[in-house]
Amino acid sequence: MQAKEVLDELKAILVSRLKFDPRRAAEMTADTPLPKGIDGAIGLDSLDFIELSIAIEERFGVVLDESEDLAPHFASLDALCRFIVDRTNGG
Amino acid sequence: MIRAVVTGLGAVTPFGLGVKTYWNGLAAGLCAIRPVTLLDTQGLRCRLAAEVPEVIPGSRRRSRADRLALAAAVEALEDAHLERAERAEVAVVVGAVGGGMFEAEEWYWREAGRGAVEPDRRALGAVLPWSHAEVVANALGLYGPRETLTTACSSGAAALAVASELVTTGMVDLVLAGGVDAITRICYLGFNALKLLDPEPCRPFDRERRGMSIGEGAGFFVLESAEHAAARGARVYAELAGYGMTSDAYHVTSPDPEGRGMARAMVEALTRSGLNAADVGYANAHGTATPQNDRMEGLALRAVFGAEGLLVSSTKSMIGHTMAAAGSLEAMATVLALVHDVIPPTVHLDSPDPEVAFDCVPHRARHAAIEHAISNSFGFGGQNVTLLFRRACT
Amino acid sequence: MSLPEGRRRVVITGVGAIGAPFSGDSAALGASLANPQPCFGTLAPGALAGVMDGVDARRLSRVCRLAVAAARLAATDAGGEADAPLGVVVGTELGDLHSTRDFADGYLARGQAGLSALLFPNTVMNTMAAATSIALQARGLSLTINAPGIPGELAVARAAASIAARRAERLLAGGVDELDPYVVEMLGRMGVESGGRGEGAAFLMLETLDGARARGARILGEILAVATGALPARPVGVGRSNRSRVVQLALERTGGRVQDVGWVYASLGGDAARDAWERSVLEAALAPHRPPLAALGMLWGQHAGLGALRIAAAAWTARSGLLPVTSLDEPGVRPRVNITRVSAGLGLVHGVARGGAHAAIVVGPAPVG
Repeated sequence: MQAKEVLDELKAILVSRLKFDPRRAAEMTADTPLPKGIDGAIGLDSLDFIELSIAIEERFGVVLDESEDLAPHFASLDALCRFIVDRTNGG
Repeated sequence: MIRAVVTGLGAVTPFGLGVKTYWNGLAAGLCAIRPVTLLDTQGLRCRLAAEVPEVIPGSRRRSRADRLALAAAVEALEDAHLERAERAEVAVVVGAVGGGMFEAEEWYWREAGRGAVEPDRRALGAVLPWSHAEVVANALGLYGPRETLTTACSSGAAALAVASELVTTGMVDLVLAGGVDAITRICYLGFNALKLLDPEPCRPFDRERRGMSIGEGAGFFVLESAEHAAARGARVYAELAGYGMTSDAYHVTSPDPEGRGMARAMVEALTRSGLNAADVGYANAHGTATPQNDRMEGLALRAVFGAEGLLVSSTKSMIGHTMAAAGSLEAMATVLALVHDVIPPTVHLDSPDPEVAFDCVPHRARHAAIEHAISNSFGFGGQNVTLLFRRACT
Repeated sequence: MSLPEGRRRVVITGVGAIGAPFSGDSAALGASLANPQPCFGTLAPGALAGVMDGVDARRLSRVCRLAVAAARLAATDAGGEADAPLGVVVGTELGDLHSTRDFADGYLARGQAGLSALLFPNTVMNTMAAATSIALQARGLSLTINAPGIPGELAVARAAASIAARRAERLLAGGVDELDPYVVEMLGRMGVESGGRGEGAAFLMLETLDGARARGARILGEILAVATGALPARPVGVGRSNRSRVVQLALERTGGRVQDVGWVYASLGGDAARDAWERSVLEAALAPHRPPLAALGMLWGQHAGLGALRIAAAAWTARSGLLPVTSLDEPGVRPRVNITRVSAGLGLVHGVARGGAHAAIVVGPAPVG
């Protein structure tokens, strides 16, 4: 999968599963930070990240191993896209 | 000042029917967490739970949860040796969460493919948490104040707290109070999805702990004014000397990372009982074995009680997290500890977490004569309740 | 008025409501009571527009939004320090069944991948209280009372008793219910009429009289006494006995007598069998005295919040001297409302539920001095 496709899918997940307003999701870019507490972030917390993990596993078949430190991959939409592309392309 | 004392106990637990069976299991350090039989757990990360292993008495027309409640309520009332005539005044306060969802799910799961349009009247009529109080009160002829409280995992404790309030404010002389929950698919699947369950039996306060084990059951108390109990020569188990009830107001599932709401609940229980931290010898912890809860609770306990001198154990290590019943079953374990001079253990505690600064009574029950003990219940959404019990004078 | 030693007086300092008949604060309630229009069923779309400003409502289910919105309105109406200690007591009959079903549907459609971590907390009906506590940063006690028929009345009674007993200083007490279409359909198929139902939320700000006076709060009324109990009946059934000590107990707790009751707000709401039972219970409790009666449930759709509004309405009647007396003589026909002048006296808020739960709350005017 290409990063652009993944970004669009992630935005769709943010709307359908994480209840973001579609207009807000449309405004998000690859640089948009995700976690709560960071300037300009969309403000996801631990519960949101669990939901996101479930959705990512369903949509992309990428299993998130909680023994790994996943925080760097969840820092921004771009980081998450690259992580998913990596894992789906057998990286 | 009116004091609230415990004069009757009734229980159905993952060890089986009755209070005696419950205490024997706790004192022996048995583990009731086993492979699930009541639900399909195919493909789930965790496939264990602490189910009630015996057939629960009562009509099959009633929901599992209603039968659990009735069985425990009947035992408690009989244990208190209340005359029939006295029952009419008895108040009923029940902590409940799942209600009759187990049967409602059976219907919905079966009918979903067809749009689930033909209701199962019996199942849906008993689905809401208020069903247990209505069934128990009307089956047993109890017509005092009636309340069903839902405060997530602290519901059973909240019920005892509110019940003691009814007694100490002089509203009633007698209350039947406790908590009940039957295992449900929604609860089991939900906690699995949140990755909050340990695929192995839970290990509260252990360094390697990975999450909760789910349980089910019912625990009921008869709470009574001390004067009323003395006048009729009732046997007193212990006094419910005080309680604390606070909210984290922090997050819908995660506790306050500094355990402040938990600490405030414990301090309030002490203050209301007119006691100091040093007066308490044992704490029955909420101790769910999630990495977060045990850490926060450890911090909170330390903030309130200092680092030494307090025995702490989690009976969830043996019967799992019995949800709405937890607060009342664990309060019962606390009361029985005072009665028998035996502290129930934390089992599976092979490598105690160094961050938890207490003796958590690993593996085996311990003889100890304690004057005052607390029971903690910290529910989802930051609903914190601490109950404080004082040994009965003999 | 006699008070047991150490007990404190409890006053109402704010009202907030979201509902089909009206949304707003104590002034909005008063305006609606002075000119009540029949209104049942669901909220108009957009009813929540503007009331959630400043709240991160992204994850809040609809029933949680109703609760938070009404609670905020009540807190604003009451005024006072935003960070004064505050707790919540929420009554509900149906909880968040919509989310529960959504959660189940997700799994049934897509297996484990369809499970929603965000929806799961809403399957426990303390979710509305938790959302309200978080939105208002209320760190005092939090209780959710689930009951058929009269959950709002029971929640306010519990809250008032807690403040009187020195267990809390300030509490938001009330109720919330939503009308989920699927739930309504199932109730219908089970033979349970839903025509008299509505949806919405309403909260009262309750606090100690001393606390209210110390901060110069506007006091709307006083909750003089509460009493709860039950009458014999099968679960969700209507009983035969009309004898209960609950009203008597409530009046005893104020040092008042039956003759002192100036008006009644009853829980009558169009369920003919249950209404007949309540009328019989009231008559047995108050006879030969027959104070005028208002039945808001005959005008506005029943939900847990209406229980709290009955109590606020009783306080409004104590202030205004007006009562929206509902004529109940022709069952099945839209009741007529006569705005009637009442003489001084105590307000009695009365509720009887199927299954037997019984509540009496005595309301008086704001204390003078």
